[in-house]
Amino acid sequence: MLNYLIKRILWMIPMLIGISLISFFIMHLAPGDITSNESAFNPKASEESRQKLRELYNLDKPIIVQYGLWLKRIVQLDFGSSFASHQRPVLWEKKDENGNIKPGLIQKALPITLLINLLTILLIFSISILLGTIAAIKKNKIPDRVITLFVFVGFAIPGFWLALILMYSLGVVNQVLPISGLHSIGYEQMSKLGQILDLLKHLALPVFISCLSGLAGISLYVRNGMIEILNQDFIKTARAKGLYEKKVIFVHTLKNALLPLITILGLSIPGLIGGSVIAESIFAIPGMGKLFYDAVLMRDFPVVMGILTIGSILTLLGNLIADLAYAWADPRIRRGLAK
Amino acid sequence: MHKFLALLILSLVVGCNNSQNLDNTNYDEPALPESGGALTNAMIGEPNNLIAMIAGDSASSAIAGQIFNSLLKYDENLGFEGDLADSWTISDDYKKITFNLKQDIKWADDEPFTCEDVLFTWKKVTDPDTRTPYGSDYQLVSSASCANNHIFIAEYDEPYAPALETWASLHILPEHLLKDENVNDTYFSLNPIGSNYYALDEWTTGQQVKLKTNPNSVHGRPLLEKKITRIIPDLSSQFMELIAGNIDLMNINPIQYSRVFPSRSELNDKVNLYKEMGNGYTYFGFNLKKKPFDDLNIRKAISYAINKEEIINGVLLGLGEEITSPYKPGTYWENKTINKISFDVSKSRELLEKSGYELNANNIYEKDGKPLAFEILTNQNKQREMTAVLIQRRLQDIGIDVSIRVIEWASFVNRFIKTGEFEAVVLGWSLSLDPDQYSIWHSSQQGPGQFNFIGYNNPRVDKLLEDGRKELNNEKRKQIYDEFSKIIYDEQPIIYLYAGYGLTAIHKKIKGVKKITPPAGVFHNEYEWYIPKKFRRNEMSL
Repeated sequence: MLNYLIKRILWMIPMLIGISLISFFIMHLAPGDITSNESAFNPKASEESRQKLRELYNLDKPIIVQYGLWLKRIVQLDFGSSFASHQRPVLWEKKDENGNIKPGLIQKALPITLLINLLTILLIFSISILLGTIAAIKKNKIPDRVITLFVFVGFAIPGFWLALILMYSLGVVNQVLPISGLHSIGYEQMSKLGQILDLLKHLALPVFISCLSGLAGISLYVRNGMIEILNQDFIKTARAKGLYEKKVIFVHTLKNALLPLITILGLSIPGLIGGSVIAESIFAIPGMGKLFYDAVLMRDFPVVMGILTIGSILTLLGNLIADLAYAWADPRIRRGLAK
Repeated sequence: MHKFLALLILSLVVGCNNSQNLDNTNYDEPALPESGGALTNAMIGEPNNLIAMIAGDSASSAIAGQIFNSLLKYDENLGFEGDLADSWTISDDYKKITFNLKQDIKWADDEPFTCEDVLFTWKKVTDPDTRTPYGSDYQLVSSASCANNHIFIAEYDEPYAPALETWASLHILPEHLLKDENVNDTYFSLNPIGSNYYALDEWTTGQQVKLKTNPNSVHGRPLLEKKITRIIPDLSSQFMELIAGNIDLMNINPIQYSRVFPSRSELNDKVNLYKEMGNGYTYFGFNLKKKPFDDLNIRKAISYAINKEEIINGVLLGLGEEITSPYKPGTYWENKTINKISFDVSKSRELLEKSGYELNANNIYEKDGKPLAFEILTNQNKQREMTAVLIQRRLQDIGIDVSIRVIEWASFVNRFIKTGEFEAVVLGWSLSLDPDQYSIWHSSQQGPGQFNFIGYNNPRVDKLLEDGRKELNNEKRKQIYDEFSKIIYDEQPIIYLYAGYGLTAIHKKIKGVKKITPPAGVFHNEYEWYIPKKFRRNEMSL
């Protein structure tokens, strides 16, 4: 078991180098660099000044040299600073000699994205398990049909459209929820509880929208898994020995039907740090999606590479955790590993 | 589950219900000016860096402009007036400008403002280590000096007519705070100290920038106590915030202006709309180094074949104007004597045939067996895409085969514009206030990354542009640029399509906005705007 773990972790190193190499090259293959955006078409800005900037950021050097420089920094865990004119650090805040702190880009964007995604995953899983179970028990009856219809409509509705409709009906016509942003004006003066409530109010719509599209997949997993297991012999045995139906469903069936969800949960770990550009733009949430998207458009290489690196580390870790969790939950696999 | 279904259905039903939240306040009620209150507006992007010479993005200059002053500024009719300078004189040979600076003024941190600050700023903007794209204008100053604490002298080797404009766009920075700092990555750029109406109060990254009045403001105290700029990237969301009363002001688009507002009277009770000439124009440009665009007849034929009025109506819903020179319509530099080329299919055909083109079996013009076909390139910009489609349609009608290609900005600039690998483009330039157009039209400006990428080359225009830069007498200068505008229009290296209006929606509770927008724009007298107490938002209740 320990050997397996060490092997898996060691394997991650060449994988990471490979991933970073490919993403670095692809990013640099795209035409343009930071200087083609900032003031690229301002007649007052001269080409010489842009060339100067290119030299400063080593953008005039061969790609392989640039990659080497980047790798050298990254092994010291230095993600560098953005190429944009604010020069903010990519990952974490930096203090200058006067004690002034420049906040890091990922540091500022990550918490809010994490919060939204955690809430979303939590909601998706709890609602899906509930819906899937009901659908499985009432297979091919009206509740099953209604649930299937509902989750598929939720999956098919364009999120941005529904978001705008909900913003209009709940934010403008009936002012129940805030329309966009993270905090109300006057947030600083609120009590701690008021602040949390205010934040949750602002997050209600974005979380609801991103939930809706995720319900279909998971609830069908649960439904089909349940149906398959309900048809197995050990369930018949359980029923035959006179167990309560509740116990049959929730203990014997659900527990087994949830096993594949562990893999899905593990695979959604890297997704935790990714945000939706469209949702973040509409709801004016300064999260990771918009940060990444803007960085790509700006050709802000340090930011793009920073996010990609963290994303790939999380993907590899997520896979590992999923495998381990599976082994922990399923004795059949655990024994296979031990051999 | 039932609850969720119910919520979904409920919200859809409510969404179709048009009744507005009851807001019966009569915002038209007159009220006397009183200071205080907060104005909330929205921006689509976050400022990068509040030192404008480093930043280069429009969000940064918009915020920095409220915090910093230049030596000069534009008055309401777009003439110059003093900002940090009280007055200025230009020597008879046009080579020396002497600025008399305002005395007894202070930075927001109570340190006195002196000529040294101006000198310091000039040194910084011309310093090769400073990462500014704007240095070249100031490098023309051969010597800058302070005669005493309040007289700043800039000397040029040769007369430079746009000089005053350059001094109206350089924010003066405080030397005492920046002399030991690296201006490229100083913390000052996130927490600036200036001299203008407002000072930074609080900047919540990604969410909002809050300004408060600067007690040491050079021009006295503005009436609005606070200004909050929220960062909302999506224009529909901004619009909803506006009609919900959460923001007071935003730039709107033609659809909102001429479709949404006229059809909803309850919005007009709350919001005033303002229309002014915008700051840029859209054009259809040819790569003059490629055939057949080196042929004047072909360019003119295309110009006659394009219906500009149709484009203005289709793309801007009529909210724009045709232009004949690269200057704001109605301003001093516009050449009003130029005759417009208007839509005329027969003239277009005549010109094509004059150049030896004939219609082939597919109804496409061809010459020597080669059909007249090309590709229009533009970047991802809805208005430009729509414009390209309308042009394509008209050219198809006449017998020119046009395809359209829409490309992301960075690729567009680097793969096509810089390399000259394009045939025709739909793009825009700004309508500058100074008439100098050297960097766009002079034949020396054709290198990769320079702005005469269409390859325009006319010795007479070169001469005019050089002379225009040296001429400080406005009447003589006007003659030079009138001739320049005329030549450009006659030769049609680009076809001017339209200059769109800037459209602003301002909540009626903001009083003091001028009914008739001056040439300098609706925001020009912002410091006189106020919100009467009875209309102020209760900030705590939100």
